[in-house]
Amino acid sequence: MKQHPLCTDCEPASTVMDLPIPAGLKQEWSNLETRRRFLGRSGKVLGWAAMSSLFGEVALRGDVRDTKGQPRTPGRDELKLPHFAPKAKRAIYLFMSGGPPQIDLLDYKPNLAAQYNKDMPDSVRGNQQLTGMTAGQAHFPIAPAHWPFKQYGQTGTWVSDLLPYTARMVDDLTIVKTVNTDAINHEPAIMLMNTGNMNAGKPCLGSWLAYGLGSMNDNLPTFIVLQTKTNAKENNQPVSSRLWSSGFLSSEFAGVGLRSGGDPVLYLADPSGVDREVRRQMLDAVEQINRQTLEEIGDPETNARIAQYEMAYRMQASVPELVDLSKEPQSTWDLYGPDAKEPGTFAYNCLLARRMAERGVRFTQVYKRGWDVHDNVTGMLPLLCQETDRGCYALVTDLKRRGLLDDTLVIWAGEFGRTVYSQGGLTPENYGRDHHPRCFTTWMTGGGVRPGLTYGETDEYSYNIVRDPVHVRDFNATILHCLGIDHNKFTYKFQGLEQKLTSPVPASVVNGLLA
Amino acid sequence: MTVAGSSKQIRTRLFAGIGAARRTWVATLVVSAALLLLPVIVKLDGKPHADWEQFIGRFHPAAVHVPIGLILLVPILEIAGAFRPALREAAAFILALACLACVGSLILGYLLAHGSGSTGATVTRHMWGGIGLAIGLLLCLLVRPVWAMGSTPRIYPLLLGCVMLALFWTAHQGGSLTHGAGYLTEYMPGPLKRMAALGAVNAAVPNPDSFYTKQIHPILDANCIACHGASKTEAGLRLDSYEALMMGGKDGPVIVPRSADRSLLIERVTLPAGNKHLMPAEGRPPLKPAEIAWLRSWIQAGASSTANKVAGVVIEERPREAPPQPVGDYSQWADEIETMRHAQGAKLLPVSSKPSDGLILNTEDVAASFGDAQLAQFQKFAPFIVEADLARTSVTDASFDTLARFTHLRALHLEETPVTGSGLSKLAGLSQLNYLNLSETKVTADSLAPLRSMPNLRHIYLFNTPAQPASAAETANANAGGTR
Repeated sequence: MKQHPLCTDCEPASTVMDLPIPAGLKQEWSNLETRRRFLGRSGKVLGWAAMSSLFGEVALRGDVRDTKGQPRTPGRDELKLPHFAPKAKRAIYLFMSGGPPQIDLLDYKPNLAAQYNKDMPDSVRGNQQLTGMTAGQAHFPIAPAHWPFKQYGQTGTWVSDLLPYTARMVDDLTIVKTVNTDAINHEPAIMLMNTGNMNAGKPCLGSWLAYGLGSMNDNLPTFIVLQTKTNAKENNQPVSSRLWSSGFLSSEFAGVGLRSGGDPVLYLADPSGVDREVRRQMLDAVEQINRQTLEEIGDPETNARIAQYEMAYRMQASVPELVDLSKEPQSTWDLYGPDAKEPGTFAYNCLLARRMAERGVRFTQVYKRGWDVHDNVTGMLPLLCQETDRGCYALVTDLKRRGLLDDTLVIWAGEFGRTVYSQGGLTPENYGRDHHPRCFTTWMTGGGVRPGLTYGETDEYSYNIVRDPVHVRDFNATILHCLGIDHNKFTYKFQGLEQKLTSPVPASVVNGLLA
Repeated sequence: MTVAGSSKQIRTRLFAGIGAARRTWVATLVVSAALLLLPVIVKLDGKPHADWEQFIGRFHPAAVHVPIGLILLVPILEIAGAFRPALREAAAFILALACLACVGSLILGYLLAHGSGSTGATVTRHMWGGIGLAIGLLLCLLVRPVWAMGSTPRIYPLLLGCVMLALFWTAHQGGSLTHGAGYLTEYMPGPLKRMAALGAVNAAVPNPDSFYTKQIHPILDANCIACHGASKTEAGLRLDSYEALMMGGKDGPVIVPRSADRSLLIERVTLPAGNKHLMPAEGRPPLKPAEIAWLRSWIQAGASSTANKVAGVVIEERPREAPPQPVGDYSQWADEIETMRHAQGAKLLPVSSKPSDGLILNTEDVAASFGDAQLAQFQKFAPFIVEADLARTSVTDASFDTLARFTHLRALHLEETPVTGSGLSKLAGLSQLNYLNLSETKVTADSLAPLRSMPNLRHIYLFNTPAQPASAAETANANAGGTR
């Protein structure tokens, strides 16, 4: 290739002709690929691009049309779900946003105490790129867990003194010590955990389940999100509705968030002067208008809007019963503790999650923020554990004694783990921990998973995985498996691809976790 | 040369060789004697020694491949040398090199065994194999010049053949040390194994149902025999058979029948974490509390090899749950099922995309208005329904008549319903029923009696009922897991 006369130092760019392809093919190609032909073809491509943008996003969807050409979502029968008889009919996901420090809670490393304040060997970290928060540190002093661990249950599982309630149920738990993720910062990591992709725009686990398995109770949303009130003493990372978005699926499958303070749903009661009948008439009228719009424009989101109005109408009747805790027996309060009486606490949300499971809500996700302990671990971690430990235990125990744990999957996880080395200064009293994507600990229990199992092994620094890694995608594939779904077969066509929760990199169900 | 006339010549040539290389002979004898005496002077006593010994010794598994390669080369070069004489000259050099390398890796191996305190039959065999091999090679080196001079006494080829056999045998012992005994035949195809009669080695087990065979041996087998077995016998203790276990090791017996507290085995597995005598050693996971409890009870009961039961230990044996019986194909009723849904509100959801998995009767969204009359209308689909969720509906004891016709029912939810349990006996015919939830009803313990005869009914939930008050439930569930 010729160089520009003024350009003295640029390297000659390689052309197609430099590629190692047969000479005959090169000849044929150069005969065909004339300038006229290239320009002609480009025009066509641009035309298609323009056309698709004129049709809007709808044209990119894989919607099925009914006989009248109206867009609609594929029916239950067409999805052929569940693929096989599931062990769990519903799931409750306790999401510990911020990244709980596995070393201080469940991944016991007794040998670290002897290495207090010693530098972590470089070979352990390898060429890993750290976050901006610790990349500048000259030293990576090892901070052993501040709290002692003890063995519990028949399985003799080591649990930190911070989690006395979780310790009581270790024989029921499936602890996974080797979950690992691709992202080192909150937003991409939490997106990956929830939607299988670091970038926003993909449907989350709950939306996939709502779409694929449908509702068991038409009076309540299929997918409900409960947020725990934040504690100002903790380091709260934002949690946005992107995490329960339905992405390219119809928005009727998005998670419905209940408020953590005051009324769980605003304007639930009809205003004075409007009775149930009037409300019904109003909604019927709105639906007629919406149907007209649907016929004129053909946007399937109009369908979603109609469905959402109907859901809201039914929730006016079902939600007050759902959140009315006055009939709970004393044994409930004994189990969940006094926190559960205060709306918005984690314990309260756990109690609501149990009531939702009873009433056929397919997927409930409880978010607890504040696990981002970059500094002051000894100050914040006891608070966090105090807020969540009893609720987790109460939920699992309550489901179990009521016979619901047999077909409910309960998952406890954050978006990543935390480093063994201290971020900032290390003193005998305090330390901090940075984000750590290479391994973190989660647990599951209930329908489909093997109780009393600790899966996978990390190295002596809880930094790298020694045995049985479980990537986030494998983790999600396993959750789908427990609910009767083959993650490779459950797809939705969008932007020309068969999209799935676990794409694009191949994932596999972790058979070792299954009952 | 004829065979008969050769013997005298050989002798003269041999002695000529001796005369020519007396110093070589002496050196060979000294080295051989040193090698033979090594295990007597520096004993493998089963105790770990200096760390530096282990450090150097651990190169043995890698270094050992050098002499192996060299020794294998020797016969190849000798045979090829018949056609290309230059190669035969190389053979002499390679043989000398192999000899050196062999002695070198022998020393490394000895350091490894001495440093780490390994003993055991395989270790001993591997050691003697190595020593024999080194001496064999030295002798080869000695007799080779005689053979190479042109006369053909068979002593060198014979010796070389023996060396090759010794090499294979020794290498196999080494392999068994690293990979475990029987690693070669582990994945041998079945027919071959039978031909080699390897499957028949399992000696007759005295009592296959004894507590020792079923509970104790598996614990030792899974946790201990890697270091206390045939291939590696740390501290002279083997735990791979009842006799060996009772015999104990260097420190005396490890089991004192009827006294768990005086049994060394129990002492070693119950030491606090971090103690260097805690067993299993080398970072292996500790025994589970239940396993220790079984060991203790077994020793307390007399550590018998034949007793089937041990006082105070109840091993829950749970037969596998019966696979669900497939139901018929309900696809032909699809339209009617849909009509029912619109009329009743209650849904019939498929368990999975396979019709033979059956249907779930789901009443969650119409629970308030669902009663005995509504349930009766689902009788038509009764054979296809494998799960009936009637929680929080108003069905009463009268419905047990209807439910008795749900012949494929596996799970039945009746939580928070007005049932009192008086008709539970009608369910006795549901042979598939596996799960019954009667939580928060008025069911009493007496009314549950008829359920005892149901073979598959494993999970009965009675939370907050007269049969199981809420106050007792948490502890009861903690122990029994909510199952029967």
